[in-house]
Amino acid sequence: MTGLLAPFAYEYMVKAIVVSGLIGGVCAFLSCFITLKGWSLMGDALSHAVVPGVSLAWLLGLPFSVGAFVAGVLAALGMGWVKNNSRLREDAVIGVVFTSFFALGLLLLSLYPSNLNLRTIIFGNVLAISDPDILQVFVISALSTIVLGMKWRDLLLYCFDEGHARTLGMNTRFLHFLLLALLSATAVAALQTVGACLVVAMLVTPGATAYLLTDRFGKMLIIATITGVVCGVSGAYASYFLNGSTGGCIVVLQTLVFLVALVFAPKHGLLAARTQRRVAAIAS
Amino acid sequence: MHDTAPPPSIDVDDVTVAYNNGHIALRDVSFKLDAGTICALVGINGSGKSTLFKSIMGFLRPAKGGVRIAGLTVEAARRRQLVAYVPQSEEVDWTFPVSVWDVAMMGRYGHMNFMRIPRAEDKRVAQECLERVGMSGFKERQIGELSGGQKKRVFLARALAQRGRIMLLDEPFTGVDVQTESAIIDLLRDLRDAGHIILVSTHNLGSVPEFCDQVVLVNRTVLAFGPTEQVFTEDNLASAFGGVLRQFQFEQSTIQDHDGRTVKLLTDDERPLVFGKDGHLEYTDRQGREQLVKKREKEARA
Repeated sequence: MTGLLAPFAYEYMVKAIVVSGLIGGVCAFLSCFITLKGWSLMGDALSHAVVPGVSLAWLLGLPFSVGAFVAGVLAALGMGWVKNNSRLREDAVIGVVFTSFFALGLLLLSLYPSNLNLRTIIFGNVLAISDPDILQVFVISALSTIVLGMKWRDLLLYCFDEGHARTLGMNTRFLHFLLLALLSATAVAALQTVGACLVVAMLVTPGATAYLLTDRFGKMLIIATITGVVCGVSGAYASYFLNGSTGGCIVVLQTLVFLVALVFAPKHGLLAARTQRRVAAIAS
Repeated sequence: MHDTAPPPSIDVDDVTVAYNNGHIALRDVSFKLDAGTICALVGINGSGKSTLFKSIMGFLRPAKGGVRIAGLTVEAARRRQLVAYVPQSEEVDWTFPVSVWDVAMMGRYGHMNFMRIPRAEDKRVAQECLERVGMSGFKERQIGELSGGQKKRVFLARALAQRGRIMLLDEPFTGVDVQTESAIIDLLRDLRDAGHIILVSTHNLGSVPEFCDQVVLVNRTVLAFGPTEQVFTEDNLASAFGGVLRQFQFEQSTIQDHDGRTVKLLTDDERPLVFGKDGHLEYTDRQGREQLVKKREKEARA
């Protein structure tokens, strides 16, 4: 029994578990919108594009989250601009713009070594998270939760039917920017826990899992958030015993949950589809 | 609330829309619709029907000219939610995790507060609108699990719930069963009688004379605009559709002697449009068209 409680004896473990759970939950809530809007690739790209911001923020003496956020938003705006003013398809534009940002970040980090090493940015290190960074994560999470809590119905309508949202007089450009800003902000927060490489898993997998399990958006939000929190907390907890990467543990756990849903989901799972086919064949 | 609102009208004045690449989608388009009318927007694919819709909803800014809704700019009209839009089925993501009830409720968003929490009134209206289109028994159904006709009805309910007095419908009869088609037509007639303006974009020629009072015939510009009987002539349709339509001519009538005149049937694989021997429009039934029948009889006697 004491063996199972061992991680809680260390302050850094407790902090890591709390922060991972919090970020897991916030990212998961947002992931419902990201997966339905078809922005999964954008989430991946944004999380890489924040890297030059981190480096520049250090050079300018600003908090690194500010730099990362600005870089993320700039990259997203740049992508929108290139897409509207060229004949390229969206995936090509995302590929070009975000790899440019990431490459610039790598270059800056190698030319001007900062207190944050590349490893931390790319793979995250929640076990060594500092108190100011924890505060930062709390502020970002609180703001995102408040904004999402108040505007989720508008964002849902925007994702579902932008045309209708516009005829109702909603400012869809604002909603688009709001979703991008939330995506950038949570990507910055998640950078701490799982690193730039795995942020996209936090921002997509819980939403994808929940989407397989329900046909109602309200339930999807609840399922995704619970998955995110549980995987964040238990992933960080398990990493103590496995002595492995925290980010890796969290994401592997999320993937396992996703796989279970993919196979066993009551209506949209692989097994259910097989049964339905068989039933249909017998009935006909 | 509606009583104090100005009567609806759509005034499209000399609108030219150009795309970023300099391509002109619409040129010098003008027409005006007043309260209590069903107007069809007819033209081939790529003739600018959707562009015209987008201009009326204010999604596209015309390079020249302008649109006024009930005397207001399109932006002001949008803030007052005067215009409700029923999208084409292809535009909707049917795998989205929303139910029939959720979609009907979306029509009420503009009437709700900042956080869009529905009040009893919103629920009542959404319920009433679903009942009106005969979909109240499907409230919990995910939208992808509906038939083509049911899908259309749900989005019609959403437009009704919005309580706009101008309704734009994009291809409302595509993929819709005959029963739903006539149910939609009945509903649109009721709305017209209540003073609404209904603008229907369609390539289904046969249904147009059945329920549309007016027609705007477009091909990159307005080819003809006016009452259906005047606009729906063979010449006008030929210039709007070119060689796109299938044409059948029944030169040999089984009952009457062949007298050089023919009954013509035009169809684009949907409900056919039938021109009688004199080139006048044929309707599926005589009900509601007694005056027309009398007139024709008089002509025949003369």
